[in-house]
Amino acid sequence: MPRRLVSSLGTTAVLSLVLAACGGDGDADSATGDGGDGTLTVSVWNLEGTPEFQALFDAFEEAHPDITVEPVDILADDYEEKLTAMLAGGDQTDVITIKNVMEYGEYANRGQLLDITDVVESADTSDLAGLEAFDVDGSYFAMPYRQDFWVIYYNKTLFDEAGIDYPDTITWDEYVDIAEQLTEGEDEDKVYGTYHHTWRSVTQAISAAQTGGDLLGGDYSFFADQYEVAVGLQESGAAMDFGTANAQQASYQTMFETGATAMLPMGTWYIAAILAAEERGDTDVDWGIAPMAQRPDTDEVISFGSPTAFAVNENAANADAAKEFVEFAASAEGAKAIAEIGVVPALQTSEITETYFSLDGMPDDELSKKAFEPDVVELEMPVSERTADIDEILNQEHELIMVGDKSIEDGLSTMSERVRTEVRD
Amino acid sequence: MAHPSIPSAAPQPVAPDPPRRSSRRRLIRRETLVGWSFILPNFAGFALLTLVPVLMAFALAFMRWDSYGSPEWLGLDNFRRLVSDETFHMALFNTVYYAAGHIPLTLLASLGLAIALNRKIPGLGIFRTAAFFPYITSLVAVAVVWNMLFNPSLGPVNQFLEAIGIAEPPGWTASTAWAMPAVIITSVWRDMGYYMVLYLAGLQTIPQEYYEAARVDGANAWQRFWHVTLPGLRPITFFVVVILTIQSFKVFDLIFVMTEGGPGRSTLVLSQLIYQEGISQGRFGYSSAVALALFFLVFIITVVQFRLNKRGES
Repeated sequence: MPRRLVSSLGTTAVLSLVLAACGGDGDADSATGDGGDGTLTVSVWNLEGTPEFQALFDAFEEAHPDITVEPVDILADDYEEKLTAMLAGGDQTDVITIKNVMEYGEYANRGQLLDITDVVESADTSDLAGLEAFDVDGSYFAMPYRQDFWVIYYNKTLFDEAGIDYPDTITWDEYVDIAEQLTEGEDEDKVYGTYHHTWRSVTQAISAAQTGGDLLGGDYSFFADQYEVAVGLQESGAAMDFGTANAQQASYQTMFETGATAMLPMGTWYIAAILAAEERGDTDVDWGIAPMAQRPDTDEVISFGSPTAFAVNENAANADAAKEFVEFAASAEGAKAIAEIGVVPALQTSEITETYFSLDGMPDDELSKKAFEPDVVELEMPVSERTADIDEILNQEHELIMVGDKSIEDGLSTMSERVRTEVRD
Repeated sequence: MAHPSIPSAAPQPVAPDPPRRSSRRRLIRRETLVGWSFILPNFAGFALLTLVPVLMAFALAFMRWDSYGSPEWLGLDNFRRLVSDETFHMALFNTVYYAAGHIPLTLLASLGLAIALNRKIPGLGIFRTAAFFPYITSLVAVAVVWNMLFNPSLGPVNQFLEAIGIAEPPGWTASTAWAMPAVIITSVWRDMGYYMVLYLAGLQTIPQEYYEAARVDGANAWQRFWHVTLPGLRPITFFVVVILTIQSFKVFDLIFVMTEGGPGRSTLVLSQLIYQEGISQGRFGYSSAVALALFFLVFIITVVQFRLNKRGES
């Protein structure tokens, strides 16, 4: 008897393990996908630290009392991987937040998102920035609700002390001059004129947007001027050098909020963070934003940025409510809800700008308002199947130029060469 | 080490009658099943989560697969690409470079530490613990702190070097030439405590009589070390070298946190390339081919080590 018991126990154990392994996906689906009766599930990252989601959900629930929004919270760092796995496994979460445009292209091409061209066409999208990034051969599978773009943050106190005018639509040469004049002190007490974060976009995306250069093209000589600026600044000591910033994992927030730098080119997402830091009492820096510095041959303000969007899952349990949510988030109501907490909506109207600048702690000078309405916002990185590979190469060669391992000319020619020879379709 | 003079310990049944034999067989079978049920939870996990993926990686190396849809058979295409892929060459070189630095330096450092701490000195426990500390420290913390120490302009390492008169100290993680040495130094510092413990255990197994005999024969300290200690540590050294080799070739975490393979590709190692191609770029076929190359590299080196060890023993 005991022998039989043991062997049947063993068999049961094996069977249950096998079943558990096979059944894993199915269970996960039914757990997250129970929509249908007035519940709308939305995939988000770091719900706690990204207040725009809750703000949108609250506003949406108020406008649609019969629908309850249920966030599916995902760790921010793992968001793309997790989402990829969810969609591949047939998950039924209704609304998918598109964190970056690169992934959007993949999901749309695999048919994992619902075609919502009808929603986009029925809405008024004339003031909706960033929409063209989601155009896949005339069809739309997502609609942006948020559009960040790059501006120059500056420390008013440091400018006033040095008796320098605020950077109102300056050229890159003027930018370098100002940065050098504002630099003072030594070692730990040093105040830098500006701080360029270690991301390649700080140099490359600005350059592509302002020269019209193609980031996927395989000829990167158009980066040269912008690299002259970046390398020149760190050589003269007006910006922290790349190696140091990398080694101590410098945080741009700390650099700016402690007054260690007078200027900081950065995306508008930082506004919400700096407002929050002020509210917590972590910083009392007197700040403003200015339009991105420009090449001398233009009178337009050209910057770059990336939109964030909502899409409807092809397998959505509650597709109608999901479409309604996507449309709401891109509408004036949705825009107002997120503008009120310092997030830059994709919908850009003077009314929204007004809401935005009436926030507590927000600078209300004319220059800041001007910075908030750039003439052109180019997409940070165009979407293609080759984007991820090219991104890798651009990053590696960017590092080599910035640490001084290669001259600008050599670095750019290797960059071009590698993109042409190494990237496969 | 077999002693033919000692008889086998298992008693042979003199004249087993049939019924006893069958009950004995039943007993054996039952014990086998119980044994299986004990290892089942572990083995099932291993089989599902390790063995199957490993076998799949072997097959995937000959296919193109982005984890969606069905894999496409490519034959040797992935390997042909491997041969001409400059990034793979760099990663291979960097991996060997890391191993060539990490293995001997860790070996020397841990042996040195073990010998220094294998005597009766006041505060011995504190010193031994201190040497072991790095190994139990969180790896991310180790990487971040060493990164700061190696900071080219403000870091203590370079400030020290400048203080002793080196006008242009290395750029460490900000320089393609010095990033790998910086990583190696950090990893040696981290690992030496662990291998020191192994060596300490090894030192205890060398009989004191050997040293006494050597002393009587007039051997000096160096001769005693060379002719008694080192040969006595042979088995431990072999074990340490094999483990260190495998560990060096699959290094990933420390480098990923410290330099992310940079600047450029100067510290990109094979495991990071596998991660990059597979997880980040979704090319699981090519990634598996790189993994296979790494597997054979480690396999061949380990086989050679075993051969050398055997020859040394005989």
